[in-house]
Amino acid sequence: MEHTRILVVDDDREIANAIDKLLRMEGYDIIKAYNGLEALDVLISNNIQLILLDIMMPKLDGLSTILRIREKKNIPIIIISAKSEDSDKILGLSMGADDYVTKPFNPQELLARIKSQLRRYMFLGDMGNIKNSSQLIVGGLTLDKDSKQLFVDGEEVRLTPTEYKIMDFLMTNAGVVFSAEKIYEKVWEEPAYSVENTVMVHIRRIREKIEINPKEPKYLKVVWGIGYKIEKY
Amino acid sequence: MDTKLKSISRKKWVKCIAFALATVFITLAFMQLVYIKYINVDLESIIVREYRESKSFAYEVNKAISTTYKILESNTIVEPGEINYFYLIKDDERIFSNAPIYYRNFFERYKDTFFSYENGMSTIGKRINSDLIENPHGENDYTMYIAFPDTFMEEHQRLWNQARNISIPIILSVILCLVLSLLLLIYLGLVSGRKIGEAELYTSWMDNLYTEIILCGFIPMIIWILTLSKVLYYDTSVGYGLSDRQIFNMCLIGIVTVVITIISILAFLSIVRKVKGRNFYMHSIMSKIVPIITAYIKNLFDGNKFKNYPLTKRLHKRQVTFIILSAILVLFMLLCTLVPYLMILPIIIEAIIIYWYVKYNNETFDEINEGFNESIKEQMKAERMKINLITNVSHDLKTPLTSIISYVDLLSKEEDLSEAARDYVRILTEKSNRLKNILGDIFELAKSTSGDVNLEMEMLDLKKLIEQTLGDMQDDIEKSGFQIITKLPKDPIYIVSDGKRLYRVFQNIIDNALKYSLQGTRIFIEAGKKREDIFVILKNIAGYEMNFTAEEILQRFNRGDKSRNTDGSGLGLSIAESFTKVCGGDFKVDIDGDMFKVIISFKNAN
Repeated sequence: MEHTRILVVDDDREIANAIDKLLRMEGYDIIKAYNGLEALDVLISNNIQLILLDIMMPKLDGLSTILRIREKKNIPIIIISAKSEDSDKILGLSMGADDYVTKPFNPQELLARIKSQLRRYMFLGDMGNIKNSSQLIVGGLTLDKDSKQLFVDGEEVRLTPTEYKIMDFLMTNAGVVFSAEKIYEKVWEEPAYSVENTVMVHIRRIREKIEINPKEPKYLKVVWGIGYKIEKY
Repeated sequence: MDTKLKSISRKKWVKCIAFALATVFITLAFMQLVYIKYINVDLESIIVREYRESKSFAYEVNKAISTTYKILESNTIVEPGEINYFYLIKDDERIFSNAPIYYRNFFERYKDTFFSYENGMSTIGKRINSDLIENPHGENDYTMYIAFPDTFMEEHQRLWNQARNISIPIILSVILCLVLSLLLLIYLGLVSGRKIGEAELYTSWMDNLYTEIILCGFIPMIIWILTLSKVLYYDTSVGYGLSDRQIFNMCLIGIVTVVITIISILAFLSIVRKVKGRNFYMHSIMSKIVPIITAYIKNLFDGNKFKNYPLTKRLHKRQVTFIILSAILVLFMLLCTLVPYLMILPIIIEAIIIYWYVKYNNETFDEINEGFNESIKEQMKAERMKINLITNVSHDLKTPLTSIISYVDLLSKEEDLSEAARDYVRILTEKSNRLKNILGDIFELAKSTSGDVNLEMEMLDLKKLIEQTLGDMQDDIEKSGFQIITKLPKDPIYIVSDGKRLYRVFQNIIDNALKYSLQGTRIFIEAGKKREDIFVILKNIAGYEMNFTAEEILQRFNRGDKSRNTDGSGLGLSIAESFTKVCGGDFKVDIDGDMFKVIISFKNAN
């Protein structure tokens, strides 16, 4: 298999270089670009598997670049930006980015996210054809009901039976918010009484297993004061 | 020719003569009037040609009517010599008369001088000045005839003519004198202040006096005219000649009149010169005082007088002035009830004051409005600048920090590092991560305090939120060894708020309690509803002496003088406070000895 090639686009050369070094250590091929136009040029002449993209750049900003890339390509795009507002993240993701990392980022987390995106890209590429009815797919999460397995970006995550049941219930109803009582009744099959803490602790455990950064969960989210849900992608 | 006349008219001696003549004429007019009064000529004779049409005769008729009536009333016959007219008066029983025939047609023969009263109706001879005749009084059931014999009328007409012969020439001469003096005064007025060959106005020392003082020059003349008749009154003569006393009086009056006339003419000429020089008003006491008073009142209202006060204070002062002035006017109005037609004066003044008051108040209001808008604009600008600053600084700090963290990470992956270098890199990693956290907190706090926040408000259960937060933090709680006691109500506590931010609030205060509590103590969290309000109280016992006030701990971000311990940004409570406020709640810290208490309250979210 040829080396995975990643395009790093950031007008700050030091950051681009640092990412370059970091990823080369992990065995990736890197091409650097310093603005959106350069990035588009590189994309034409190179086979790229993933793009790391800054938003605030001269000539062509990151969001416009994403729109132009998305006209043709479906490769994963991770935004790396100093803009940390929720609204910025939502905007970036809705423009077609697959993930959003805020500066200053933890290099290990960035690495994890890159790997996750790449796995998913490859995995889904394979899975696309052999998807069967027993599989439940939400974003990078795949729940196999037959084998009672959960895959995150194609990699199996080991869950306890209770955790599996919770995921099964939430993923089946992705995007819907459930209270702790409801989840408890469904999963434990007992009447719920004072179960908030129990459910919350389980949720946290699952999050630690499936999320790259459990403090900023991508899939399993707490809706504070209301309940829990799996984000729908 | 024209210029010659002009030059003559402007010669001093010509003016002096004119002046003297005017004085003489006016004095003459006076003297003649006095003379008429002294010789006791009925002035009516000037206007009324016939005696029987005069007021004197009407008066004579009235006298006859009342005399005649008294005859009937007193029931006595009057001596024939006392009565110089024919009369007849009768009632049912009696009849009195001095007429040869007791019939009405006897009297009616004297048709011009006839008067009758019969059956309550009176008839008056047609030439008599009937407006002045008074109807007889008493009961109606009597009849009265009166007529004046021809001899009486002829005698009186003769005397009347005599009086006319004297009075008419005198009055004509008085009029002539007055006309002449008036013409002379006009001439004097025209040439006064002009000198031959000089275009400029010539003024005398008198003209330097204030207008009001010069106007006082007319006062003697006015007093003289008003009092003259009273001076003369008791000194009228009976006959046609003048007594010695009267001649002496007339000399005296003449001298006084001359002096007063001279004074008046001088004053008149001075006034004329002032008018010509256009400083009649300019050079008066009034012109000095009026502007001062109006300026003062105007200053009171337009606020110049209160310029040093703030705008609202000006309004207040003006209001007080307005009320005081109005009150004074009301008092003045009460005084004016004595002289009703003066009542219009305070009304006009009040109208002016109201106009001023409203006008300058409006000006002040406009100023206040302007200032207000200005300050809002400034505030908005400052706010926007602050937000821009935060965004820019945020970006400018984050970018280099990204490089630092990235390269420190790369450095930590270098294999041929010495043990010491590895240690340094570890510290760098730790500190750069801490810096990252602090920066994040600072920007979050700055944003929420600058009001630039997007809230996601929704109906949520505060009780659940607290339980979730505790569940989320369970590892930390277990690690810390503290026991958290919760006292939450059975029912949900619904509230409309931003869940993510509220989670941060509780996370921060619980985190704070876990960090600073005394080992072995318990942490209490209580939530509930108190009447309309929702409250959450967290209590813990501090593990160190809290030598700061509640305000100080929340203002640590601003003050930055007390050092905090090593991890965290030290902004936890400030962020919690700011987020609570952003979510519409109230955040209070209470320090009581070693007990640290956070009270969060919300107005009931219905």
